[in-house]
Amino acid sequence: MPVTLTIDGQEVTVPKGTTILEAAKTIGQQVPHYCYHPGMSSPAMCRLCLVEVEGAPKPMPSCVTTVMDGQVVHTQSEEATASRKAVLEFYLVNHPLDCPICDMSGECSLQDYVHEEGRDSGRSREPKRVFGRDDFGGDVLFYGDRCVMCTRCVRFMSEVEQDTRLTVVDRGNRSVIDTFFEEGLDGTNWHGNIVDICPVGALVSKDFLHKARAWDLEHTPSICTSCSQGCNIDLHTRDNLVQRLKPRENLDVNGWWMCDHGRENYEWINQGTRIEAPLVRDGNGGSKAVDWKEVLGALLEQANGAGAVKAVASPLASNEDLGALKALVEALGGGETVYRSARAEEEIVLKGFPSLARRKDLSANTTGAELMGLERAGADDATGGLADVAGHDGVLVVLGDALEDQPADFGKNAALYVFLGSHESEASANASFVLPVTTFAEQEGTFTNVAGRVQRFWPGLQAPGMARPPWLILGALVAELTEADLPRTAADAFAALASAVPAFSGLTYDDIGTRGALVNEPVQLSGD
Amino acid sequence: MAISVKVMHRPEPETTSYLRAALSGMALTFKHMVNPAAVTQQYPEEQTDLSPRWRGTHRMEVHADGRPKCVACGLCPTVCPANCIRLVGGEDDQGNRYPVVYEIDEFRCIFCGMCQEVCPVEAIHVGRHFENAEYTRDRFIYDLDRLMEQDHPVTLLWDPSDPRGE
Repeated sequence: MPVTLTIDGQEVTVPKGTTILEAAKTIGQQVPHYCYHPGMSSPAMCRLCLVEVEGAPKPMPSCVTTVMDGQVVHTQSEEATASRKAVLEFYLVNHPLDCPICDMSGECSLQDYVHEEGRDSGRSREPKRVFGRDDFGGDVLFYGDRCVMCTRCVRFMSEVEQDTRLTVVDRGNRSVIDTFFEEGLDGTNWHGNIVDICPVGALVSKDFLHKARAWDLEHTPSICTSCSQGCNIDLHTRDNLVQRLKPRENLDVNGWWMCDHGRENYEWINQGTRIEAPLVRDGNGGSKAVDWKEVLGALLEQANGAGAVKAVASPLASNEDLGALKALVEALGGGETVYRSARAEEEIVLKGFPSLARRKDLSANTTGAELMGLERAGADDATGGLADVAGHDGVLVVLGDALEDQPADFGKNAALYVFLGSHESEASANASFVLPVTTFAEQEGTFTNVAGRVQRFWPGLQAPGMARPPWLILGALVAELTEADLPRTAADAFAALASAVPAFSGLTYDDIGTRGALVNEPVQLSGD
Repeated sequence: MAISVKVMHRPEPETTSYLRAALSGMALTFKHMVNPAAVTQQYPEEQTDLSPRWRGTHRMEVHADGRPKCVACGLCPTVCPANCIRLVGGEDDQGNRYPVVYEIDEFRCIFCGMCQEVCPVEAIHVGRHFENAEYTRDRFIYDLDRLMEQDHPVTLLWDPSDPRGE
């Protein structure tokens, strides 16, 4: 049953049981808060979301006060702002104000709220209580002095991860968050999220400690590549390097959370020794760098009548890249394409948000590869399975798979061996053409997650040298071999894919947007 | 208007003496050799008095134990309009945040003094000093050690005991 009330002179209609804070959010009025988080219960203990409700004897905490018909709420009245100003002054009684050395500085709610609504200067003359720094285990450091006792971290561990590792010790102004005995957070799989939800700099990441200032980081919406869940993330980059990954809210996929496995797995994106120019091998074991026009021309010349095609693709390649590879294989007379992906023993489910799990399949786009008819090969650690490909004597195309486990004579017998990759390996040494491609962080594209949701990602880094996205390279070859149009944008490449693969038909980049869209077919992973 | 032409006649060398003009010129020269009201300053033997607000070569303040006062908060590279400060933060063995790399390119610097104004721990200062000629260009990128070695007086751009200038 809908309820109509007035907030700041504006009529709002929301379902019964909505809190005032959430109702105010629908008209764009953000009430300051610490303990309230949309993914968890509200204990109303930070007292910062106080608003004036007409008829109520005192200011009400808006995060737990539910709306009533005909209620009149003022979030910016004198009584409301004065109450919040007083609460903020109490927060600063013991806060060390060490913003210059605090990693949260620049994205800290205490900084923001005091700047917006707080006093210019404090009146407390008492010495501040000092706790110092505590190692909570895992990736988390705790600075007790900065804590505002919102208990979001305690509630995350008990309500969402459902593995109570944190608690509040002591009473009054001596109260502090602590772990049980020496147990700490070691061995938990989602504890990185308590750093995200901490509104101040009390919980900081060891990995990110002193690495960059918040205002120096650029944020790019992207998709986590560490498993097939496809968590929505932001790449935080600086100096053309990924500095950290943060979850991006998407209630259909990952809520507000992401696992530690995915959060810590970003160093590979920054690896330095990339292939930067297209290389053409001559027969004597040497190679020379040439420009794109020359290399594609030479490649097309050799591709004529070179025999049957075998292709190896990486399930970290985007839908567009795999679609372009599929089109190329067909244009060259058809053949089989395999992919290799690592698999974990079991899923790690986030108990308080059961649709989110670290999936068994540890690649971002396995579902996309399956939908396009690629076949899985090799063992569960993404090795082996290429015995018949290695000695193939026709056309051999490798996309994205680094082939690190493969022997040095991989592809030696192939009439034409094309290696599209970002890093050179022993097995790429025999390739007649080595083409530099971008990683997912350097190109636009889409992944299909385990539930068949197609999700877009955007480029956050500049590609090294002459590296180009695979869909562009493969699309240019397909355009030369057939009547197809040259894809000029990732959206073009996706449109070509949508017209070729029934599962994607009808989808466009506009439909997918930032939230993703489901493919047309129910998804069943092979081996599940 | 028609152009009017005035014809000048040079003095004839046979009939003109330059002696008087030469002597008056030399008199002026010798007068300046002994003139007590000379305005020329004998730099570098004589040094100019710099204004107390002169903004020149940077220096980094140090603690009594020799550590730099800088806590690598990142405000000076953020505020620097010439983008001449490079800073990489880190943690020392006592758990203090400190600058692993702190470099100022004195060529790019425009000596606005905003780094000193913004510094929350009064570590980086511009100084009353301007003689920083070098033989090579790379010597103009001052690293942390070099900034800590500087011992010239700092500018009175901002008085810490009177932050609002009252």
